[in-house]
Amino acid sequence: MFCSQCGANNADTAAVCVQCGRTLQAGTPATPLQVNGTVVPPTAAVPNYLVFAILATVFCCLPAGVPAIVYAAQVNGKLQMGDVAGAQAASNNAKLWCMISAGLGLGVVALYMILIMFGILNGISNH
Amino acid sequence: MLEMRPMDLRTVNLSAMNPRQRSLLLAMFAALALAASVLCVFDPATSGIFPPCPVRYLTGWYCPGCGSLRAIHQLLHGHLQAAWAMNPLTVVLLPFLSYGLISSALFEIRGRGLPEPFLRAVWIRALCAAIILFGIVRNLPLHPFDLLAPGAMLHF
Repeated sequence: MFCSQCGANNADTAAVCVQCGRTLQAGTPATPLQVNGTVVPPTAAVPNYLVFAILATVFCCLPAGVPAIVYAAQVNGKLQMGDVAGAQAASNNAKLWCMISAGLGLGVVALYMILIMFGILNGISNH
Repeated sequence: MLEMRPMDLRTVNLSAMNPRQRSLLLAMFAALALAASVLCVFDPATSGIFPPCPVRYLTGWYCPGCGSLRAIHQLLHGHLQAAWAMNPLTVVLLPFLSYGLISSALFEIRGRGLPEPFLRAVWIRALCAAIILFGIVRNLPLHPFDLLAPGAMLHF
């Protein structure tokens, strides 16, 4: 199947164009993609949270960020194959791991602040 | 910000967002601005107010993000070379991440983000591998690789 927008050659079952991201499976461009009965904007068919996954991996916590990136890749892989339901499931997992990562990161920062507070209180009481 | 909602693209704007989402978005922007100004004033290399990297603290190894706070501090002062020495990965990724963050914020505000190319799954996996590889390589005690440790290029 060739993309109507950029002309790239895609797999016949692809939900989005691998080159420009245009929705392919919705039939005519006027019919929006539907996931679980809700209308999805064509440009953001299923969010993969890649930006947050990378932020989590590099700036927050590597062990929880890597699964988020892997699921983000899975979202786009399933969209390429036309598996919108699978992409949505992977999207939920990507989001979950971003949340876990954010929680762990905030936890570490909070712990560090508590320790600093105790350190300051300890210093005051020693004087 | 992480929520996908059914919507008519034309009607979503800031006033149409529900109050909780709106205040969450504003709170995130405020936190980001506060973090950037603290990071601009205090240098993580010399100041003790920033938490150490848990990976580095627990294992003694540099993670792919080690040095990124120092790198952003240098970037905020316009020192690209010093930032590159602290963490080249951060310097490379930061423009793309900023674009993506702005796009998500715009998506929340007006229901439509900035134009983003569709990334094939294989490229996302390659990026993931590159980040992990960078984390491994910068710990190697061999000469060309040890320059990737935070700050090592400053003494080159």
